[in-house]
Amino acid sequence: MSPPAGATWVYALSGRLGQAGLDGLDGLDGLRGIGGGQVRALTSGPLTAVVESVDPGLFSAEKLQDRLTDPADLELVARRHHDVVVAVAALGAALPFRLATVYLSDERVRTLLSERCDEFCQALGWLADRTECGVKAWADAEALNRARTAQPSARNPGGRTARPGRADHSGAAYLARRRAELAARAEGQRLAARCGEEIHASLVPLAAASRLHPLHDTRATGETGLQVLNAAYLIDSASLPAFAESARTVAARAGACEVAVTGPWPAYSFADQPDA
Amino acid sequence: MSREWGPTPASRERLPTHPEPASLADILERVLDKGIVVAGDIRVDLLDIELLTIRLRLLIASVERAREMGIDWWEHDPTLSSGARDLAAENQLLRERIGALEAGTSGASRRAGHDGAPAGTAPRRRKSAG
Repeated sequence: MSPPAGATWVYALSGRLGQAGLDGLDGLDGLRGIGGGQVRALTSGPLTAVVESVDPGLFSAEKLQDRLTDPADLELVARRHHDVVVAVAALGAALPFRLATVYLSDERVRTLLSERCDEFCQALGWLADRTECGVKAWADAEALNRARTAQPSARNPGGRTARPGRADHSGAAYLARRRAELAARAEGQRLAARCGEEIHASLVPLAAASRLHPLHDTRATGETGLQVLNAAYLIDSASLPAFAESARTVAARAGACEVAVTGPWPAYSFADQPDA
Repeated sequence: MSREWGPTPASRERLPTHPEPASLADILERVLDKGIVVAGDIRVDLLDIELLTIRLRLLIASVERAREMGIDWWEHDPTLSSGARDLAAENQLLRERIGALEAGTSGASRRAGHDGAPAGTAPRRRKSAG
């Protein structure tokens, strides 16, 4: 089989695979790639890149840019890329490639494999028998602050100026109330941030490595509360259920109002920089 | 309390023991922003990835909910369709919005490593009661 000259989309890298191994995969057998073609194994030395030949006309930089800007197309491309990466990771350690890594020929991919062979092999060794687990947590800053100020020993930033039952309409009273509100909000945000830090600190010792990802602004996602943790943990595959249980336990203890544990994921978050 | 976005809310309650359809938001966060980065031959400008993911977050939150309701407004919204992209202008606009969002968090402590969306802003729009 000689692939058409043009463009080669790279999904992931793994240790040496035969084409037969790919063909026999549940989920990959018959799985259409991003361009609708067959996903192939491209082997060089001890490494295999899982690739697809795509139409260079449809996968030019400009066309790709447009596809990734179109919501429906972006979803299709992202899901197909992810499906192939998942299928490869099911075979063993895999290094997922970032979406839209395209070469002009198979030969160019082989060159990459041979030039960076040691680095890729080391990364694959590090990821062997490990999987990525995602943990996100949300907190209600106002509830955290209320719970804190409800404690008798807690310092209440607004306590001195709040006089229930007596309306004071003076400007000074208004400013005092406003200051108290701002102080309470800042305190709630501080408590929420600490909640995320607590969860993360409890999970780090249970993982081989961890990555903190940017927090999502819940005003953009339409979620309730503040996102206080968005992290990925690299853990032994066998310990995934126990890790997930720990994540839920420590999140509840830290005062999170919700936690989302996702996985197993291919090691997307750990593909680039193996820890020493 | 359940999240409204993401096709598999059940996965938030329990951890699947085998891969199951992940939410689009989770997939995009990984395939666009993570994974090994090598210089391919075809350069696709993914913009400032931070800006792109923020934009996508806005988009995803809307797309998945809208789709359930059969709404496809984004196809007619020039700022979201591929037809009328002025990336530089959009870049600038998003930067300004990020600046405005971050200015609102000046009193909040921020964690090292979390340099993306503001960590300490109070939600203005609550979709469901806590």
